[in-house]
Amino acid sequence: MQKLNILVLEDDKLAQKIMASRLAAHNVDLAGDLKTALKKIEANRYDLGFFDLMLGPDDDYSGLRAIAAAAARNVYAVVVSSSDSDEIIDRAYELGAGDFYSKGNEESNVADILRKFLQNRKAAAATDIFTSAFITGDPETKAAAGEALKYAPTELPILILGPSGTGKTSLAKVLHEHSGREGAFVAINCSAYGEDLLEAELFGYRKGAFTGAADSRKGRLLEAHKGTLFLDEIGAMSLGMQSKLLKAIEERSFYPLGSEKPEHSEFRVISATLEDPQDLIAKGKMRFDLFQRVHGYTINLKPLADRKTDVFLLAQHFTKGGKRLSFTAEARAWMEDYAWPGNVRELKKFIDLLSSGEGGRVGLDTVQKHLKGGQGAPRRAPEAAGGPDAVYTDALKRGLEAALEKISGEIIARNLRENGGKKTKTLEDLKISTRLLYATIKRLGIALPGDKK
Amino acid sequence: MTADLTKLLHDLKSKCASLKSAADLYKDCSAGEKKEMLALMTAAADEIAKTVQALGKTA
Repeated sequence: MQKLNILVLEDDKLAQKIMASRLAAHNVDLAGDLKTALKKIEANRYDLGFFDLMLGPDDDYSGLRAIAAAAARNVYAVVVSSSDSDEIIDRAYELGAGDFYSKGNEESNVADILRKFLQNRKAAAATDIFTSAFITGDPETKAAAGEALKYAPTELPILILGPSGTGKTSLAKVLHEHSGREGAFVAINCSAYGEDLLEAELFGYRKGAFTGAADSRKGRLLEAHKGTLFLDEIGAMSLGMQSKLLKAIEERSFYPLGSEKPEHSEFRVISATLEDPQDLIAKGKMRFDLFQRVHGYTINLKPLADRKTDVFLLAQHFTKGGKRLSFTAEARAWMEDYAWPGNVRELKKFIDLLSSGEGGRVGLDTVQKHLKGGQGAPRRAPEAAGGPDAVYTDALKRGLEAALEKISGEIIARNLRENGGKKTKTLEDLKISTRLLYATIKRLGIALPGDKK
Repeated sequence: MTADLTKLLHDLKSKCASLKSAADLYKDCSAGEKKEMLALMTAAADEIAKTVQALGKTA
């Protein structure tokens, strides 16, 4: 396990001992007063710090100064709260605190905070992907992709769901790039081949194995050795082919067509489909055991119409280095309201078309002419939120924890919106912990009235 | 509530919380650590008693 450099600011000797014990696996520095803490923060590099705010009975929350100093040095500051008021916790967050927990609950909280810190640090290193490799400004999509990235360096198979053209392949590539795997990213679209050809493509073949096999050929499974095999449109695979693939995944070996010698390959599976896998299984089109093997973690990509903030972010990305395009207000509004049935792929094609023309200012006429032959397809209605079927389906797709996190975020955000951002009211109405409230506000980037810019 | 009372109560909660955490940790300590922990817990309990006394004086 990675050893972190941790500072603990705590005046109470017993509390110091407790923290030192809970953090024994790491390099821990203790400071009993503010002056010592500030000196240490200045002199050393810490990954994170645990800060008591009130340092002694006559103190006036001087621990806040340590939080400010730590945050300025990129130390992840955790407030160790002894029933401090909302105002004090607010202030700590304003000064740069990243988390807090109530003193007395070290057993459950410290390990959790360390685990999340390590996970987030890994994911944070990859956040620039949202402006370069997998473009999105949509908070939900970013959160989902960020969560998937945490599993990138593991062996966990990942299943990407989403309509055609939403960037499933781009995301799969990003996941492979962050996997640390030395082998190649090998993609195959399972719907592009008939069964026999798909088998030949996946497993490879020997010369003469079938009519037309003039030479031997390495299959995609072998090409993906120590790398990633991306199975796009996995739902299109026949049941017979699914059975053969399942055997290859489980045994990590397979026979190329026409060969009696098995090949061995250690590939990691990322797969994608635009169909609902549960539906495919129910209709007998997908083997349940194969589904179990390919969906360790599931991520759902929303259609472009449901993340309209991405339309112009993507448009800007697609025109980078090329002809500049600008859109009239009417054109922009129309594009943001458009259904984009072809999703990002359709948007790219549209931008490429505009860029190959005169460029310059694009008006509503031009937009309407090129998109759906002038017929503005009605905007898709957003999915009904909160319905039990939707929640259940989401839980099956992304796991129970992710689904509950989404629902709790929506409820908290709505309550804050309805009460004008009054956190104490939300705590009262929803009967939740202060910790959950602050973590949700931070996770969703909720701006509240009175927040300092 | 006066500032003094607030601070006394805050201090009391903080010290009680530490005692609770020490109790959670105690069983996993080595013999040497248990000795050290007991000494710290005893000192904390004394501090709590003093704080409660001080609280009584503000009542």
